[in-house]
Amino acid sequence: MSPRLNRRDFLKLASSLPLGFVIPPLAKAFHPLQPLQGNKKNVLVIVFDAWSAYHLPIYGYPRNTTPNISRLAERAIVYHNHYAGGNFTTPGTASLLTGTLPWTHRAFQSYDSVTQAFVNQNMFQAFKNHYRVAYSHNPLANVLLRQFSGHLNGYVPMSELMLTTDGLLEVLFENDEDIANVAWTRTAKKQEEGLEGHSYSLFLSELYQWYQEKKVAAFKPFFPRGVPNIEGENFFLLENAIDWLQEQVNQFPRPFMGYFHFMPPHSPYNTHRDFYGSFNNDGFKAPSKPQDIFSDGNPDKELRRRRVSYDEFILYLDREFARLFNYLESSGMLDDTWIVLTSDHGELFERGVRGHTPPLLYQPVVRIPLMIFEPGRTSRRDVYASTSAADVLPTLLHVTGETPPAWTEGTLLPPFSATEPQPDRLIYSLNAKNNDPAAPLTRATAMILSGSYKLQYFFGYKELGEGVERIELYDIESDPEELNDLYAKQKDTGADLLHQLKEKLKEVNQPYS
Amino acid sequence: MVNFITSRYSRQGLWSLFLICAFPLHLWTLILSFRDVSWLMERTNAWDAIGVISYGLVFALIESVVIFLVLILLGLITPGQWETDRRISFLAFLVLITSVWAMISQLLFVWNVSLPEPAIEYLRHSAHPLRIMYATCLLVITPTVLLPAYSFLRTQKAVTVMQDLIERLSLLSMFYLVFDLFGVIIIIVRNF
Repeated sequence: MSPRLNRRDFLKLASSLPLGFVIPPLAKAFHPLQPLQGNKKNVLVIVFDAWSAYHLPIYGYPRNTTPNISRLAERAIVYHNHYAGGNFTTPGTASLLTGTLPWTHRAFQSYDSVTQAFVNQNMFQAFKNHYRVAYSHNPLANVLLRQFSGHLNGYVPMSELMLTTDGLLEVLFENDEDIANVAWTRTAKKQEEGLEGHSYSLFLSELYQWYQEKKVAAFKPFFPRGVPNIEGENFFLLENAIDWLQEQVNQFPRPFMGYFHFMPPHSPYNTHRDFYGSFNNDGFKAPSKPQDIFSDGNPDKELRRRRVSYDEFILYLDREFARLFNYLESSGMLDDTWIVLTSDHGELFERGVRGHTPPLLYQPVVRIPLMIFEPGRTSRRDVYASTSAADVLPTLLHVTGETPPAWTEGTLLPPFSATEPQPDRLIYSLNAKNNDPAAPLTRATAMILSGSYKLQYFFGYKELGEGVERIELYDIESDPEELNDLYAKQKDTGADLLHQLKEKLKEVNQPYS
Repeated sequence: MVNFITSRYSRQGLWSLFLICAFPLHLWTLILSFRDVSWLMERTNAWDAIGVISYGLVFALIESVVIFLVLILLGLITPGQWETDRRISFLAFLVLITSVWAMISQLLFVWNVSLPEPAIEYLRHSAHPLRIMYATCLLVITPTVLLPAYSFLRTQKAVTVMQDLIERLSLLSMFYLVFDLFGVIIIIVRNF
């Protein structure tokens, strides 16, 4: 039997207690890193889904949604006019991962894959001298990662970082997971978007719902709007994902190239209780805009409420990204790792639209954040030239000493290019959700941007009337809110941009005609 | 345990009970999965749409087995002096009436039926809207279960009517099981 502690011994021991809090993080920080092979640096791409540049204070948003990222950006290259390839996950992520535009990679619709050629022409294949690892919270992006998994040294299944998962489906129906998942979702999940309240199953769905809620019950007090999830199921915590990444990043063989795609601030905007109510009644009021023909008819009041929730959700990702960044810094990894912080597309809270479902390419849904943290950089550099998601892949290859392949459609991002950026460079974005990927584009929305002029071209939509096209032209420098359509007023500019866009469409349709 | 079950059920009775369990679950799955065919074909292709229906049917088969097992256990607590037919009829009735209510609750969403505005207003201003809703549902559903159940205890006619119904529905269920078999084959083909 051990002798009882006297008061003096107890106080001695108690004085060493704080060490217990300090030693584990220190030990973690000084965890021996895998040695770097050669001179190649690591690359870490962090994507936060549906994160609009419109909502960041460093791009002019009045709400302080990213206090930490704004601080960290003082050591980054900040791109102010960066555009996604499309307005939702599938085309946006495919553009980032292949360095091509949607009309080339052809991932148009939800759960689409890219065309066969890009199975061997993508970010993971291109970084063949790196250890390549990828994870996505988002099932749409996950379809692409699975498609590219032949070039991944570490493909992390989606279920790995979920609180509740249907991981068994991946095991049982490995070769037919997409369709098995659709059927399972239709069978067991009543909350799926567009199917609210009914399912193929009469009883199983009730049991499944009860089981899911029971599993996440412990986390509910931390998330007043509900535990973060994907379409009402697949619950997750960003903290868990960041903890996991911190743990893993030390163990990857080096140099590594990691792609990590996390769900916040994608809907549902279930922020942590620490940020709940942060922007309530703060006086900020976004400009009112007319309802769009493609909108879901959300009233302004509802959009304002949703915008608050979205902004509060961004605070959550801001804290977690900062936690990851601080860890990388304390572990010394920042010195030899390029970090790219970006998104796959943005989000709309205007014109009656909440989200990114309608075929609209207004600024908040296509203009996305891009920050590049260069190893050793201590000052901020702002880039105002227009850039595309397709530029990220060739740039990362270039800065890590690889040769950008000929198949990418992007160019080197400033300041890494030897030449000055062309002010009239054409930037494109596309929504062709209702177009067959194997057919020419006949029903889509295409965006072309040149300098400060941006043209949106809608064609093939029955909502517009048989054969009717919709064309809008904005000067986004003088009218960043896109309130004044100049197409009727500045006919020459509009006609010129439309001609260039139509020529491009003709060119990309050629192989499918 | 096996002896206890065989003393309560005949083999034919168990088979009939399983078919009755399968009937509403498959019917509902087929109705809803056929509603999805058009958008599935639009987004993918006919083979994937067939795949979704096949998985749906197999999930329905698994659900049928689970419900069937639960019913068998439930049947063990029915009065011992009941003859097998009465027990099977009673259990079949239970599964059918529960399925009908489950279908109604989902149809309210399918047809986008909501409560009348005054009722919503009333609930909104009440202190316990959920409790009120559950109590109302219970008030409506309970008699539809208890009254027929009572008739099983009192009359032979209820048993006869139920037996006729079981006979007719069993035939349809057999067709559904054939569909399930095709579903299993399709899933195997898709996965290998």
